[in-house]
Amino acid sequence: MSTTVVTPEPANTTWRGRGRRLPVLVALATIVIAAVLACALLGAAIVPHDPDAQDLLAGLQSPSASHLLGTDDAGRDILSRVIVGARFAVLGPAIVVLGAAAIGTLLGLVAGYYGGWRDSAIMRTIDLVYALPALLVVVVLIGVLGGGYFIAVAILVALTGPVDGRLIRAATLEQRSLPYVDAARTLGLSRRKIMFRHIWPNVMPLIVANGFLNFAYSLVALSALSFLGLGVPPGTADWGRMLSDNLPLIHDNPLAALAPGIALVLTAVAMNLVGDWAYEQLADRGRAR
Amino acid sequence: MTSDVTQIAQPGGPLLRVTDLRISSQLASGEHTITSGVNLELMPGEALAVVGESGSGKSMMARAIVGLLPPGVRAQGEVIYGDRDLLELRGRQLAAVRGGEIGLIFQDPFTMLNPLMRCGEHITELLTDGDGKRLSRRARAGEAIRRLAEVGIDDAAVADAYPFQLSGGMRQRIGIAAALARDPRILIADEPSTALDVTTQKEILSRIKELQESRGMGLILITHDLRVAFSMCDRVQVLYAGSVLERGDANAVEAEPRHPYTLGLLLTEPPGDRRLSELPVIGGAVPDPDTVAGQCAFAPRCAWALPPCREAAPLLVEAGSRHASACIRVGEIAQEMRALRQAADHAGAHVLAARSSEPLVEVRGIEKVFGGGSGERRVVALDGVSLEIGVDESVGLVGESGSGKTTLGRCLLGLEQPTGGTLTVGGIDASNYAALSNADRRRLRRTIQMVFQDPYSTLNPVRTVGATLNEALLVHEPRMRNVRQRTAELLERVGLPASYADRKPVALSGGERQRVAVARALAAEPRVIVCDEAVSALDVSVQAQVLNLLASVREELGVSYLFITHDLAVVRQIADRVYVLQRGSLVENGPCADVLDDPSHPYTRLLISSIPRSDHEWLAQGATPAAEGA
Repeated sequence: MSTTVVTPEPANTTWRGRGRRLPVLVALATIVIAAVLACALLGAAIVPHDPDAQDLLAGLQSPSASHLLGTDDAGRDILSRVIVGARFAVLGPAIVVLGAAAIGTLLGLVAGYYGGWRDSAIMRTIDLVYALPALLVVVVLIGVLGGGYFIAVAILVALTGPVDGRLIRAATLEQRSLPYVDAARTLGLSRRKIMFRHIWPNVMPLIVANGFLNFAYSLVALSALSFLGLGVPPGTADWGRMLSDNLPLIHDNPLAALAPGIALVLTAVAMNLVGDWAYEQLADRGRAR
Repeated sequence: MTSDVTQIAQPGGPLLRVTDLRISSQLASGEHTITSGVNLELMPGEALAVVGESGSGKSMMARAIVGLLPPGVRAQGEVIYGDRDLLELRGRQLAAVRGGEIGLIFQDPFTMLNPLMRCGEHITELLTDGDGKRLSRRARAGEAIRRLAEVGIDDAAVADAYPFQLSGGMRQRIGIAAALARDPRILIADEPSTALDVTTQKEILSRIKELQESRGMGLILITHDLRVAFSMCDRVQVLYAGSVLERGDANAVEAEPRHPYTLGLLLTEPPGDRRLSELPVIGGAVPDPDTVAGQCAFAPRCAWALPPCREAAPLLVEAGSRHASACIRVGEIAQEMRALRQAADHAGAHVLAARSSEPLVEVRGIEKVFGGGSGERRVVALDGVSLEIGVDESVGLVGESGSGKTTLGRCLLGLEQPTGGTLTVGGIDASNYAALSNADRRRLRRTIQMVFQDPYSTLNPVRTVGATLNEALLVHEPRMRNVRQRTAELLERVGLPASYADRKPVALSGGERQRVAVARALAAEPRVIVCDEAVSALDVSVQAQVLNLLASVREELGVSYLFITHDLAVVRQIADRVYVLQRGSLVENGPCADVLDDPSHPYTRLLISSIPRSDHEWLAQGATPAAEGA
């Protein structure tokens, strides 16, 4: 700790102040996320080839000018399929993030602010969810309910929401003991107003940052399910699905399997980076000194 | 081994010399000054006080001396100890000086000790024998007990206790013992008693003084309290917004402060022996050092400021023997300053007119017990306390931490549920808020309101001042039409411009936030306001402003107060009657002047003798065993 001290020449001093300009890494991550979002929204409009058009004669090509990432065994353009795949990579995780945040906020605020029997009931339920091995539950449930991407998304919402609730409860407890909450109580504000108008904005940074992490987690989880054949139907342009479908082609056109994998990792890492950064920024907002 | 190498440059020279110390931090908005060119000299065996309010840069200065600045903050200038510049040292060398040669005591005894280390280990962790080898276990145990005895802890078992098992005062003593374990030649104490109860404060200070004298150590005491500085130190240096405004022998500065700021600090301190009709104030708040760069830092708040004061930063000029002041008008205004001081010293006591005694709040035998469930520790916070607050009456409730004074206030507001006894507020039974009808509860809310202690968390950080006040108004009158205008009136009532409605709390100083908190309480047009240590977190100069505000609010609106505090000098200024609480029980009550001038209970006497005074006797009769449990 003594190394950060008193440096006569400012050149080799690393500043760790808050609220500086955008760090390079975060800027890069933002670009990645923007690109993925653009692909998800525009998708079919910007692809060089029809992602589902088969051309058996052009199967298993290596990268070339017309197929930048080559083709798979059915002659489909890998680049186009990766671009279109962004849609599933964004849609499912986005639903998980919003759904989990809604459930988690409600459970967390109520448990943390009211305390008492509501707290016990909510927390024991959350403990129960915690005790379940998430991915295994999804696999089993899909086996029973008969598969499908949106069923997987729904189950992830149900499993992630309570976990968020625990986090938000802790943050709510911290806020509840502060005098501004006591002041709101002495004014005679209703409990609902205190929870949503006073406490909620102060735990927001945590909810946002956690949303980014949830996004990365559920992207990987959904892709894993697709990889296992439990998510999207076979042949769909989905990164996890492509990863598993194209794995046998690794010797003929390695990019067919690598490209969706890299897209997956980049997106997940970018989400984590931006999430951490967003938390720092939001947490500083309105904070004294 | 470093102590062999370090030689004092020349005998008779200073032990530590700080020259042109400039500390700055780097923020998004650019470089931000914390101190600008501070000089300081410490002679061997001398006690030097660095006095300043929050934001003066005094703590950062102490940290810079020992190389403990937080990341992003850096220091330039020279800190010469012996023949070395401490600012140039790195890593091991610096670590050897810190602790070995310069000991440190921090403000907060609750976080300063490692919770997983026994107290003895804190003291003996780095002790070595003559050859630099670590002491044997037995030698360490013996040493720990000897060191503990030195700071007044005779119970050998304390060495084996964990910090959480001890009171704040005990922990601070462990901190002192640890800081002194390697026999440093300089001790830097950063507000060592601020976080402690008044009675403990005096004990800790006199202990530090005694050790400093018996060891012949140099002492740098960092404090916000001039009275403590005068009673403990030989010399005093007054720091304000990052620059030194006055320095000199403690006696000389106390007898005749030569800088308007020092004078202001002395005058705004509420006197413990009489009530003034109005406390003198220094307007405004401590500025950001950058906004007063290149001028006298105090000029914006100074009654004597002239245009030249704002044209260049004044240098320290001699103002008597070993006494210097950074005021360019030091000679011209000396007479006026002297007159002001004399007038204040002789200002007669303000005699209170008798007020009506029709009770507005009646507390009968209130009890509050925390815990007590199976396996839980049972804490009796209030044990049959009764008190009354009359219409238009200001009542003080005095006690140390753990006395139950805050719990009583919270019970009145329904923030805690009393376990027994009755509370009546404005004719409504307030013993159980949950059992009240909505109409009654609403009437109660409009009768009694509260102002909380911590100005930094009393306002919701994400909402503007205006939103906070609007809400406070609308909750009582949902159909109010002219809310914006009423908000502006409230702000004006507490001495803030109406434009503050658009600000977030972060853009307000501590005193301003507390004013907003008063405005929020006033929004309900209550008849009683409970002020829970409402001024204790504020700087002295700002504390006086808020006390005067509360007095004028009472004068104009006829509000009653329950003023909860640990500070008897403050109670003297604001309360008509006072109740003294010790560990949940009332020990004494009566008209303020009677209780404070002629206390009948030993606990009240102890509290009164603990109010800091400027004279040396205050500490000399100091080491009276304080009433505290280990």
